[in-house]
Amino acid sequence: MLLNSFYCMIASMCFGFLFNIRGRNIIIASLGGGVSWFMFLLAQSYNNTPTVSLFFAAVSVAIYSEIMARIFKAPVTVFVICGIIPLVPGNGMYYTMYEIINGSSQNAISWFTQTLLSAGSIAIAIVMVSSITKLVTMKKK
Amino acid sequence: MDTNKILDLAIDAGKIMLENGGETYRVEETMLRISKALGLQHADCYATPTVLMLNCKDKSGNNISAVKRIVSRTFNLDKIVKINELSRSIEKEHMDVDDVLGELENIRNMPTYSRKVKIILAAFAAGAFTLVFGGNFQDALTALLVGAVVQNIIMFLSAFKVADFFIDIVGGAIAALLALIAYKLGIVQHYDKIIIGGIMLLVPGLAITNAIRDTISGDLVSGISRAVEAFIIAVGIAVGTGITLKIWVIVWGGI
Repeated sequence: MLLNSFYCMIASMCFGFLFNIRGRNIIIASLGGGVSWFMFLLAQSYNNTPTVSLFFAAVSVAIYSEIMARIFKAPVTVFVICGIIPLVPGNGMYYTMYEIINGSSQNAISWFTQTLLSAGSIAIAIVMVSSITKLVTMKKK
Repeated sequence: MDTNKILDLAIDAGKIMLENGGETYRVEETMLRISKALGLQHADCYATPTVLMLNCKDKSGNNISAVKRIVSRTFNLDKIVKINELSRSIEKEHMDVDDVLGELENIRNMPTYSRKVKIILAAFAAGAFTLVFGGNFQDALTALLVGAVVQNIIMFLSAFKVADFFIDIVGGAIAALLALIAYKLGIVQHYDKIIIGGIMLLVPGLAITNAIRDTISGDLVSGISRAVEAFIIAVGIAVGTGITLKIWVIVWGGI
């Protein structure tokens, strides 16, 4: 689990470079990728469905990014984008197409719904966290 | 105070942000913050992923406005960080128009990572994702090659300003082709993990994130257009890999 998260961190770091992030931000952003995958695997190990696990992972990476953005005074997107990348259902897209080519529409549809649900759960997680942060920061002011 | 100059400056800052992957609300906020900090009173603006509009009143009460069309969009999050910092420091450090202009020019010409570095990093990203999704080290080594080739294709085709949809189709197709060839040669066992590692380079992570963030901040037009962009990219990737898989099955009678 830790090793997998470490691979994910490296992948996120490479993405950070591809998105042209510079300086210490890149280390923080890649840690976000590690956090997101670790939380995903942790949720998976408690027998959650992939959709629920993705939700937990996306919530944790969004919270992480909001905190880091405030500490290091950088836009939240910089960290969220790198942290979210490993969660984006690239495998879902592939397996959907694979099953369509194979001719088993049953499996294709189940993969397709899985992909859409994954994207949806990531979206809801980000919406929730950033709305709640708005509430919290407003209260402080 | 030169109203025209300030207007140009603010909209240029917005343009750089929008072209490099900033969210719509951040772009609008930045343009307004810059124009207010430099002394424009009644500024108002509207931004979508393809157009920027900024309007203000000069001293005698005439309306002055500027419109910028955004044609190309890439990722350079560092520029967004820098412009964000700049817009906040104008007010704090009492910078004047010329200071800001020079600073903006610096940000515009900031160096990006070189081609070689990007290719190497893309290769490592693809390799790492192959490991994450359950491939072994042999798969990951092949994915290094796949990632490098896919990134090369992305950069090669974007230089010609081809539609993103086409780049995704070609990228997906090549990733699948290389993985299948390696599988056929007996080098690797999990061709699917390699393909997934390769297409993660094309996946619309930035479009999804920005679509969500735009929608919740109330920029519905931008949110929907970015969501459609993300969906089209996903379809493009799937179609690309699908074409290769189908042709491969037809030619060899199976994978």
